[in-house]
Amino acid sequence: MSTDSLHLSYGPHIRRGRTTAEIMWLVNISLMPALIWAWIVFGWQVVAITLSSILGCMVAEHLACRLTKIPSTIRDGSVVCTGILLAFTLPPALPLWMPFVGALLGVLLAKSVFGGLGYNIFNIALIARAIMMATFPVEMTTRWLAPGLIGASQVDAFTGATPLAVMKAATQSGEALQLTGVPGDMNPWLSFFLGLQSGSIGEVSVLFVVLGAAFLLWHRIIKLYIPLSVLAGAALMAPYSDAPLLYMLSGGLWLGAFFMATDYVTSPSTPRGQIVFGLGIGLLTGIIRNWGGYPEGICYAILLMNLLVPALEEWFRPRRVADRGTPS
Amino acid sequence: MRRKRLPPGQKGADARGITSCAATGQVMSVLLWLKPGERTFARGGIHPAEHKELTATCAIESFVPSSVTVPVSQSLGPAAKPLVEKKDLVKRGDVIAEAPDGLRIHAPISGIVKNVQREPHPVLVHDTAITILAKPTDDEPEFPEQPGWMELSREVMLEKIKHGGLVGLGGAAFPTYRKLTLPPDAKIDTLLINGSECEPYLTCDYRLMLEDAEKVVLGAWTIARMIGVNRCLIGVEDNKQPAVEALRAAIERLGIESLPFPVAMEVVLTETKYPQGAERQLIEALTGRVVPRRGLPLQVGIVVQNVATAYACLEAIRNDKPVIDRVVTVSGLGIAQPKNLRVPIGTSIAALLEHCGGFNGEVVKVLAGGPMMGRALADLNVPVVKGTSGLLFLTRSETNLDRYGACIGCGECLDVCPLGLEPNKVSQYVEWGRPLETEVYGVLDCFECGCCSYVCPSNRPLVQFMQVAKTAYRNQARSRQ
Repeated sequence: MSTDSLHLSYGPHIRRGRTTAEIMWLVNISLMPALIWAWIVFGWQVVAITLSSILGCMVAEHLACRLTKIPSTIRDGSVVCTGILLAFTLPPALPLWMPFVGALLGVLLAKSVFGGLGYNIFNIALIARAIMMATFPVEMTTRWLAPGLIGASQVDAFTGATPLAVMKAATQSGEALQLTGVPGDMNPWLSFFLGLQSGSIGEVSVLFVVLGAAFLLWHRIIKLYIPLSVLAGAALMAPYSDAPLLYMLSGGLWLGAFFMATDYVTSPSTPRGQIVFGLGIGLLTGIIRNWGGYPEGICYAILLMNLLVPALEEWFRPRRVADRGTPS
Repeated sequence: MRRKRLPPGQKGADARGITSCAATGQVMSVLLWLKPGERTFARGGIHPAEHKELTATCAIESFVPSSVTVPVSQSLGPAAKPLVEKKDLVKRGDVIAEAPDGLRIHAPISGIVKNVQREPHPVLVHDTAITILAKPTDDEPEFPEQPGWMELSREVMLEKIKHGGLVGLGGAAFPTYRKLTLPPDAKIDTLLINGSECEPYLTCDYRLMLEDAEKVVLGAWTIARMIGVNRCLIGVEDNKQPAVEALRAAIERLGIESLPFPVAMEVVLTETKYPQGAERQLIEALTGRVVPRRGLPLQVGIVVQNVATAYACLEAIRNDKPVIDRVVTVSGLGIAQPKNLRVPIGTSIAALLEHCGGFNGEVVKVLAGGPMMGRALADLNVPVVKGTSGLLFLTRSETNLDRYGACIGCGECLDVCPLGLEPNKVSQYVEWGRPLETEVYGVLDCFECGCCSYVCPSNRPLVQFMQVAKTAYRNQARSRQ
């Protein structure tokens, strides 16, 4: 009877079993409906862009873990998740080397230098996108594809404005809204909901983003506090736009609300903090979209609110049970 | 529905706690599709795999080893001084050590004292212990029922449980007489008997309630008698339905309400949820009252005792039998024959292992207590003490040996903390070397139930971080003195 092999540690000695890796891979799975839909609508480029982006993230992560001598977190799926999310924010006709560079810089500058997994302040995918917007401004705003189910003429790059840019122009000039890139005879809001419109890879289809989010809700990985308050905040600003319903269905609003703003590391962890965080994102999105310099608002809205997270965590602390003490 | 059960005289205090708590509870039960009417504490908690099936059907058996090693420190408070020497002959039940406060330790078996020296201890690592080699005598003490025990005065009863060496048998080992000696201004209206047994694997309390329901009920009566309250609630989780029925039948049979000191006794079902058996959580579940920070249950008019302690109180008062044995659950996939055993205090874990058929497969952890709050043992030659409720032999698949990672901010630990604390923040401040900045996150309220560590996807040892911070505060207080 040897006791040499007995392990010593403090309790609890059992564990629920859901690990960080499991959570990350479930998030990756939840992104698949939107990715498959993008492949159907825009063709093989989206798969290539996604792989390029994931590869950039993995190379950066591997290098950083090597250099800083922290245990590699490459297998836990978190960098793959960052890669897919970055790809989702990119135009589908982007040259393939650009996502690689963007992902590499994003992970190195927004994650590794802060200490790796768990220590970043900003959403990594959105920082990568912001870097790419600054670095490749022309490609990032012109490499769109017209939607067309497989077999249609997807190969031609469609250099035109996205629906948001068109809407913004219409709102600011007061002229009638003329959407391009939507199938001719389709009800515009239905085409926006299904994702039959031009736009970034993962954000065009509200339907498939919500399906993926439902999967996460089912597995209790995300809660509704953040997404609902983002949408509520955005809805408050919708009346100022030219087409409120299309405004709510377009751009990265839903992808941002369910997948970007809910990033554990860069969002508050208490319900009240999450609600304020979400409302802030929604309102800022509306302000940037309606009156700011970019047609897209959610990316910068989330990054700005990321800055406030430490403050929100301090301002909205959980109520401690012992404070309710009822001495007789 | 909770409101009806409020005792008189507690309305002001209760109303505040209960209205907010009941309203939240109602909303939560609608949102989360909970079974309505199930009582539990308002916030947090987890539901780990129970694993009670391993021993739930194992009737309590007796086991007497050939020798016992009885440590002199088995309760919170001053250690006892040995009263016997090497080669002394002792009889089962003889006093072999006594603490300055009068708490006694008794010989668990009859035999000859082999040694009085430092030995391994399950909690203190090492402690003075009295080793007795079994040598049965012709007139083994039997501890028969003493006539007229019900008419004894409170003071005599209290004296008996003090001299009987009673401590909380649920695991905390707090001296029972101290808990039952109330300050003169205390207004106690309710006795809670804790039959929750919320730790996975453990079934010793369950079997005791099932097999000896009458003794548990009568034991609860003796405690009610000692503190002079006429209302007693026995809280049992709803995964122990047979025990609930046994207790209810016993209350009916014994007619507790028509005894010389009548007690309105009720078995209350609670939702199965860890840590329901923690004193404050049980109080909240059964009465809606919240014990204030660093306060005691008696501040909200309540005394809590575990079912095994109630049983031992009865034996001490009715039979003059001190605490010389206890029921221990021996379980886990790593033991060949899981059992519930009544063993003399001081039985070594190695002897129990042998009695239960030895290891089954690769055992990586041996625990004294449950898997949530129990202690991992390095040495199997440690004895069962009064606070040992279970011995678990865990294989690799049952326990958790993974390394831990960074906090990813998922907030799960906030959701499950029954006290509304922030283990995530405490852990980060401790990692940054700033443990003395964590009081604001509630570290001093923490009672180390372990729910936070249980759910952490990064496997962070949050309870240990809490302990580090608490120790830092303790050291700071000490250095200021």
